[in-house]
Amino acid sequence: MTLKKTLGFTLATAGLMSSALAADIRFDGFPDYDSQLEAILGGFDQHDVDMLMNEHGGHHDKLKTNLATGSGAGDVVLIDRGFVGSFINQGGFVDLTEEYAPYKDGFADYAVAQGTSADGRQYAVPVDLGPGVVYYRRDYMEDMGYDLDDVMTSWDSYIDYGRELKKHDVLLMGNAMALATAYWNFNVESGNGLYFDANGEPLVTGPRFQRAFELAKTVREEGMDANIAEWTEEWYAGFREGRFATQMSGAWLLGHLKNWMAPDTAGNWGVSNLPDNTYGTWGGSFLAIPKQSDNPEAAWDLIEYMISEDMQLAGFQNIAAFPAHTDTYDDPMFGESIDFLRGQKARLLFADIAENVEPVEPHEGDQIAESLVTTALEQVLNDGVDIDTALANAERQIKRRVR
Amino acid sequence: MTRLTAHINLRLIGRAILWAALLTGVFMTVFPFFWSLLMATHDRTTMFSSGLNLSLGDQLIANYARLLDTMDFWVGMLNSFSVSIIGTIASLLFCSMCGYALAVYQFRGRNVLFGMMICSMMLPPILTLIPYYMVIDAIGLTNTHLAVWLPFSINPFGIFLIRQYVVASVPRDLLEAAKLDGASAFRTYWSVVLPLLRPGLATLAIVQFVFLWNNFLQPLVVLTSSEKMVITQMLRSVQGIPNTPWGALMLGTFISILPLVGIYMAASRQMISGLTSGAVKN
Amino acid sequence: MSTNLETPVSAPANSAAERDNAPADRWRTLWHKSTPYWFMSPYILIFGIFGIFPVFFMIFLSFHTWNPVAGLGSMEFVGLENYALSLTDPTLWQTLKNTILMALYSGVPQHLVALPMAYLLVQLGKRARHWLTTAYFLPYVTSTIAVSMIFFVMFSKESGIINQALTGLANGTLTGWAFGWINDLMPIGWVQENSLIRYSVSFVVFWKYVGFNIVIYTTGLATISDDLYEAAIMDGANAVQRFFYIALPLLRPFIFFGVTLTIIGNMNLFDEPYVLTRGLQQASTNGMTISNYLYRVAWEWLDMGGAAAISWILFVVIGAFTGFYFWFFGRRGLGGD
Repeated sequence: MTLKKTLGFTLATAGLMSSALAADIRFDGFPDYDSQLEAILGGFDQHDVDMLMNEHGGHHDKLKTNLATGSGAGDVVLIDRGFVGSFINQGGFVDLTEEYAPYKDGFADYAVAQGTSADGRQYAVPVDLGPGVVYYRRDYMEDMGYDLDDVMTSWDSYIDYGRELKKHDVLLMGNAMALATAYWNFNVESGNGLYFDANGEPLVTGPRFQRAFELAKTVREEGMDANIAEWTEEWYAGFREGRFATQMSGAWLLGHLKNWMAPDTAGNWGVSNLPDNTYGTWGGSFLAIPKQSDNPEAAWDLIEYMISEDMQLAGFQNIAAFPAHTDTYDDPMFGESIDFLRGQKARLLFADIAENVEPVEPHEGDQIAESLVTTALEQVLNDGVDIDTALANAERQIKRRVR
Repeated sequence: MTRLTAHINLRLIGRAILWAALLTGVFMTVFPFFWSLLMATHDRTTMFSSGLNLSLGDQLIANYARLLDTMDFWVGMLNSFSVSIIGTIASLLFCSMCGYALAVYQFRGRNVLFGMMICSMMLPPILTLIPYYMVIDAIGLTNTHLAVWLPFSINPFGIFLIRQYVVASVPRDLLEAAKLDGASAFRTYWSVVLPLLRPGLATLAIVQFVFLWNNFLQPLVVLTSSEKMVITQMLRSVQGIPNTPWGALMLGTFISILPLVGIYMAASRQMISGLTSGAVKN
Repeated sequence: MSTNLETPVSAPANSAAERDNAPADRWRTLWHKSTPYWFMSPYILIFGIFGIFPVFFMIFLSFHTWNPVAGLGSMEFVGLENYALSLTDPTLWQTLKNTILMALYSGVPQHLVALPMAYLLVQLGKRARHWLTTAYFLPYVTSTIAVSMIFFVMFSKESGIINQALTGLANGTLTGWAFGWINDLMPIGWVQENSLIRYSVSFVVFWKYVGFNIVIYTTGLATISDDLYEAAIMDGANAVQRFFYIALPLLRPFIFFGVTLTIIGNMNLFDEPYVLTRGLQQASTNGMTISNYLYRVAWEWLDMGGAAAISWILFVVIGAFTGFYFWFFGRRGLGGD
């Protein structure tokens, strides 16, 4: 009896041991995660990890090819927030529900939900977030005698501020499209998805999109934006030369502004919630294990390591990846004041946003709807197409394309 | 007398205009090339500091160090070299054989094959990527250089070019004479036709080399280990909005173009070797 | 075909030998007959391995819906639905129109410039020709990153070199009277405006490929025998006449080749519009080509079946253009009798 028991025990440990044996696994991702992994892999000696990095678009195209053909993907893959919705419902990834269960509560709700499929299983695990804020020039606001609270009370007061800025030859923002996108993304009615209602009917002709389009149109028509595409030389120059008084974006823009886009404007900036106390997010990334992986256990070990509190903090320090792990927000680092933002303790704001963003149910057709609505917006802003026409047109095409 | 000077003046003015036009063209084509060299001497902050930065920066050495730090640059260059050179030689051989056959022989299925070739140029590579990968995977060529050059060694473009070149430059009498001398078909092709095709082959070599060197899509899905990666892959893999080392990237890009320029200059001598400068001038 | 060697020149001798020792000679005839196929064998073999499957896969795919991310098992047969959907898709027709217009705007000038340019270049001294062709070829090899960055800087609305030059022209003391009206248009958004994007893209395409065509035509000019020019000079033909009456007709196989390549290449145009519209984010109504749209449907919307149908529609369109072109010019262009 005792022998049997001991034997059983030894066997069990042996079984456990074998899964804990060192394996060779590969991490497929995009920059800056190469820097993050290089920095933290020293502390991960369970397995040998190889990295395969590609630029953002190339990485996702390669991953799609691998999923399509069932071969060639890494054991752990990094997935951008923009793709996660269309990936997780298609059955190409290992179900991580059990493994993730002990950690789940420590992560931002909305991001956990984004990694959950329609049948409630967890296929992707959030690793970083992009809390959405408005960056604003403090000096302009002071010069014009405005108070932040007055400006951000509502979307209309925000635009009124833009009108005042215009009188002083300062633009409210680089591109009005960001305003519309923010509005329709972060004012989702409860029970609805971003572009589709619970029954899968498109919502794009509804009031949320109407209003978003009107806001952007007002800004464009009254000359409050520069109509400059984001991430272009001109856009960077706009920040450097102080042409824009505000910019809506993710927490990660801070590092770019500070390091190379407009280092000379240090001390003039501040961050705030989006108008009308709206909580929003820009970007974020997820980790997942393709079913084709030969070493899913070892792959999970790596994910577990990467989402641990310490490594999440390390990611924030190394590559400004805002932690998805909300327990990290107690770290003293979050209370530090930031000189670039004139001493504001902005990380506390970012953390507050991350914890308060409402989860939105993803829909298979989100990708299609997004690009069609964006095209519609472009037509309204640049070609003077009437809002109703553009949206009705987009709706018709969405209905055709989403099958 | 005055009419003559007027005539000479006109000619001079004509020449001046001609050269002004030619050199404006040169400026427009060379400028981006040199600009990327200039950018290679800057880092990200100074690179984007004004609209068109034409000053010489002091970051060249630092950028080179950063380049070697972020990727196995010379491994990538070497891989690109081996893929492009082997691939180019193979395609010179294959394309000249096929192009020659299409131009000279009348055989059953010729038009079908030629049509297929032209048609296969019309299929967009962005859509054939998945089946391409399936084939490569099925025959076990993933992560090999063979997968990156072999399928392109029968470039329809090259076959078509050689076909046209044979039509234009290989005299029929010569082929018949070779035949009467008892030369076999392959001997004729090898020792009579190929030497005549030299300029055409040089053109094909340039085009094929540039294509293989710049190709990105297929290496992206096929080559997965860093010791196999080609340079385009490496240079692209560090790009992204966050913290792209632009200066290092521009330097790497500039260096990676140099072999192409070198190959072009070497081949262009062959290309116009058929021209004897004396006969065509004036 | 002007050269036809399949019927051997020494046919009578062969048939005489055939009577004497038949089996060996049957082999020889077979060998002779198979010669062209031996020459074609690399193409047949490699295309057979790498080319056939993708074609059939794409045909198969176009009758199915398939989200690639779900793996191969998830294809569903839908018959002609993909074709019906695509043919009634307004975006497809819009992008087709964009593609054709940009193909024309960039393609026609390419050849109109490259032909005389190549002719001019071969008349220059050896050294000048060598360096000039090298310079003109540079855009073809310069990396897309450098090219897109520099053109963005040049096309920039506020600080771009093009707009600054135009403003200078409009406000200059000498030129102001003629170009003053430009001020009303400033700042011109070369890559932001739907009305201008096609020209901007076409310009970049033209810039990139004109050197390539010069190279093709220079190669072609090298095949023309000097005697012809000399005879023409004796007859008193000037340079322009020699271009039109000697160079141009003899370049026909190369013009045919170059134009075919431009048609096919431009109809598949992808990179330049993609980069200049910032990944189809601005001015994409007029700037998006059918290949760009194909990419969007296949890789962003993950509708591979729909994309396969579009690619076959595109295939038919290009095929029609090319076929038309071959039908009109093929006899001469391919060097037929």
